[in-house]
Amino acid sequence: GEVYGEKHAKSPALSTWGDPVLLKTEVHLTSVEDAECHWPDTELNRRRKRFCSKVEGYGSVCSCKDPTPIEFNPDPLKDNKVFDVPVAVIAGNRPNYLYRMLRSLLSAQGVNPQMITVFIDGYYEEPMDVVELFGLSGIQHTPISIKNARVSQHYKASLTATFNLFPDAKFAVVLEEDLDISVDFFSFLSQSIHLLEEDESLYCISAWNDQGYEHTAEDPSLLYRVETMPGLGWVLRKNLYKDELEPKWPTPEKLWDWDMWMRMPEQRKGRECIIPDISRSYHFGIVGLNMNGYFHEAYFKKHKFNTVPNVQLKNVESLRKDAYETEIHRLLGEAEVLDHSKNPCEDSFVPDTEGKVYVMFIRMEQEADFTTWTQLAKCLHIWDLDVRGNHKGLWRLFRKKNHFLVVGVPASPYSSKKPSSVTPIYMEPPAKEEGAVAVPAVAAAEQT
Amino acid sequence: MPKINRSAVLALLSLASLAFLLFQLGYYRLYLSHKNGSGFSKGRGSQSGQDSTRWHVVRKFLGLISSHNIPVYLIDPLILGLVEKDMEQIRSSPEGPSPQCRYFCAPRDFTTFALLDKTWKHEVGLFRTAEKMGFQWLKIINKDPRLDGMDDLSGMEIPLHYIFKLASHAIHLVVFYERSGNYLWHGPLRLKQHMDRKFVPFRKLHFGRYPGAYEKPELLHVSIDDLKVQIPKNPSSFLEEMSHSRFLECRYREARAFFQLYPDDASLDAVEFRTKAKSLLHLAALTLNNLGVKFWLSSGTCLGWYRQCNVIPHSKDVDLGIFIRDYKAEIIPAFQKAGLPLKHKFGKVEDSLELSFQGEDDVKLDIFFFYEEDDHIWNGGTQAKSGKKFKYLFPKFTLCWTEFVELKVHVPCETLQYVEANYGPDWKVPVKAWDWKSSPSNVQSNGVWPVDEWDDVIQIY
Repeated sequence: GEVYGEKHAKSPALSTWGDPVLLKTEVHLTSVEDAECHWPDTELNRRRKRFCSKVEGYGSVCSCKDPTPIEFNPDPLKDNKVFDVPVAVIAGNRPNYLYRMLRSLLSAQGVNPQMITVFIDGYYEEPMDVVELFGLSGIQHTPISIKNARVSQHYKASLTATFNLFPDAKFAVVLEEDLDISVDFFSFLSQSIHLLEEDESLYCISAWNDQGYEHTAEDPSLLYRVETMPGLGWVLRKNLYKDELEPKWPTPEKLWDWDMWMRMPEQRKGRECIIPDISRSYHFGIVGLNMNGYFHEAYFKKHKFNTVPNVQLKNVESLRKDAYETEIHRLLGEAEVLDHSKNPCEDSFVPDTEGKVYVMFIRMEQEADFTTWTQLAKCLHIWDLDVRGNHKGLWRLFRKKNHFLVVGVPASPYSSKKPSSVTPIYMEPPAKEEGAVAVPAVAAAEQT
Repeated sequence: MPKINRSAVLALLSLASLAFLLFQLGYYRLYLSHKNGSGFSKGRGSQSGQDSTRWHVVRKFLGLISSHNIPVYLIDPLILGLVEKDMEQIRSSPEGPSPQCRYFCAPRDFTTFALLDKTWKHEVGLFRTAEKMGFQWLKIINKDPRLDGMDDLSGMEIPLHYIFKLASHAIHLVVFYERSGNYLWHGPLRLKQHMDRKFVPFRKLHFGRYPGAYEKPELLHVSIDDLKVQIPKNPSSFLEEMSHSRFLECRYREARAFFQLYPDDASLDAVEFRTKAKSLLHLAALTLNNLGVKFWLSSGTCLGWYRQCNVIPHSKDVDLGIFIRDYKAEIIPAFQKAGLPLKHKFGKVEDSLELSFQGEDDVKLDIFFFYEEDDHIWNGGTQAKSGKKFKYLFPKFTLCWTEFVELKVHVPCETLQYVEANYGPDWKVPVKAWDWKSSPSNVQSNGVWPVDEWDDVIQIY
């Protein structure tokens, strides 16, 4: 806009500050009629007007000419099995994140805005303004406790309230304010939700593949069973919450992460989650309790996110407990065993083919031995902070567009598929020197 | 061409135009009388203007809501009372034209309808249309009780009641919300400061004095007085529910204060006990509801509801109360069939009856039968080894609904005095060692059972 005044003072030398500056100018007030935009009088524009009179910084939402739409009419979803499932958006005080997230959520095919409730952890105005801009329902929660306990109490309050507001819902979709939601999010859930209802060995359905990076995820129609609870856009079964989790949810003085608590064996009880190969949510948050710029760059920026609408999931029934085992055995039977004398961290470990299935065996002494896996994950630049994505000692991903299976021997029941001539690869964590990189034992032996 | 008499033609024409004029006049009078509401259904039947105003207002209202696809159902006690008598006839002849206005013309100030919140899309257009039709309307909103709980949540206020006024009649639309525990709830009608207390005669409303809880009704489409409307399939049971529908919210604020002083037991044992107690209570409620036996939360279970909105972790069992006049011999076999065998039976129907059923693991279900006297109510206790009888006195109480562990159950409306009678003025302080023979404040010795009756009044399995 127009510059009302400008003044500056130069610093004479690098070691001294410049002189103080006194700037006097006149800012002319404009009348309300001139300052406000003249959008046509519709319910949407009334909401827009209320929002823009309080808040700024949301780009073209408030431009007089061509304001960005705040209502999206995504295509309806045929036979939408999740139309009546409540969606709980867990929010704090990051209104610009919330704005971005709600835009993507409301553009997803099959979304039902009437079922969306945004739970704000605190009496913050701006997130509430954003919620009202989109005509959604918002609830504010008086925060209790501190740090991660505050977050876990907020989750509990929000989940309990969600099932109270929608008493005949059997599930709830749980989302956070720092996620982009894929256009086929509800389509993905609609095709898989019956599994969560019928298969008691399932803990959740999540839209997030912890190991699904741009270089390790390929197939939007593929689903996996994993022994972890990824969160980041997931479906919670009501009876799991009401009968098991809610009664023993961590009390306010326990400084635990709610999701780490949910992943503990006492809560998970050996059950698994269904995840897609290509994630249906994208975590864009950089600022937050557990986030920072570096962490985001390293682990979240290059996460693969599905942008293809209306993906038809393949072979959904094979995700049931026993059917999945059959499918794994079939895959392992088809898989070509790679040359274990090579360095698995190198690109050349995997041949320059496409669409083939390869298998690799790593050393895994017992169920909790993740030494080699962690080193492998590190060198492949996937999630290595804890162990994610495994199913009975098996990991599935893609390398160079080939399906890549990693089997932990002898802990995994799939070890039986290992040919006797193959030695499982062992990778040691590096010695305590800075910058040391783990080198597979085999290659090291070759060097000497 | 024969010569036509000019004057004859003139006479004929003027006669015709006179006739036409008279016809117009007559029709206009008829039209006016219709407008003033003194006719009904082709003008037959002589009703006063007021009566058919009511019919017209109801018809306009039904037109308004159907044009916006809002499914309402009739819950007006006056009209349902009249309908109830003619239920057979109404059910069997759904489409026949009515010669008379028998129901909607009954003298009254309001016609009450119900709206289930989740069937309504909340669009603003309804009110603009209502205004165009001549209605003046009022909305009563208040806090959403479904957000009440151990956490402090606040959302937008929800609509509880609408009043649509036209001419000299008003429609009262009560908004019902479905709640955990499979029931419908409606809120109280409280006027805020700025509202016009003279808008309608509020005191004459049938709904809104208290919040109410109802079973989800099955509805029936009927035609009453030539108006298509939905009514509860069983109007008499709905009317019966109305008479004791008063609902009490659990006192969450006080429960939070209680937990500040006495932190909740989060041990695994406590969690397990609570889970077992909850499923035992659900099973007992199902069994007794199927038998049609009214019961309420009693003793420790009632204290848990009142003091902390939850099962008391150190209580050992689930306690229920039943009025002895509601006793049915089928109770014992019904519980047996539900997987809860009889553990002991003390007393007899005439005096101090008490039943105890074995639930999962160590959790018992104790049912106390209450005997009503002129100015008090009491229940009895028996000590098995000595045959000693005990009496627990309570001031008279009535029953209200509430929600407890996702179940709609009864509690005494006058809960404080009930709890104080049983637990004394220090009921707020948890007591882990409770002796049923001496700890209650209202316990009295009541003699001893004659030895020859022991086989009958002390039965342990």
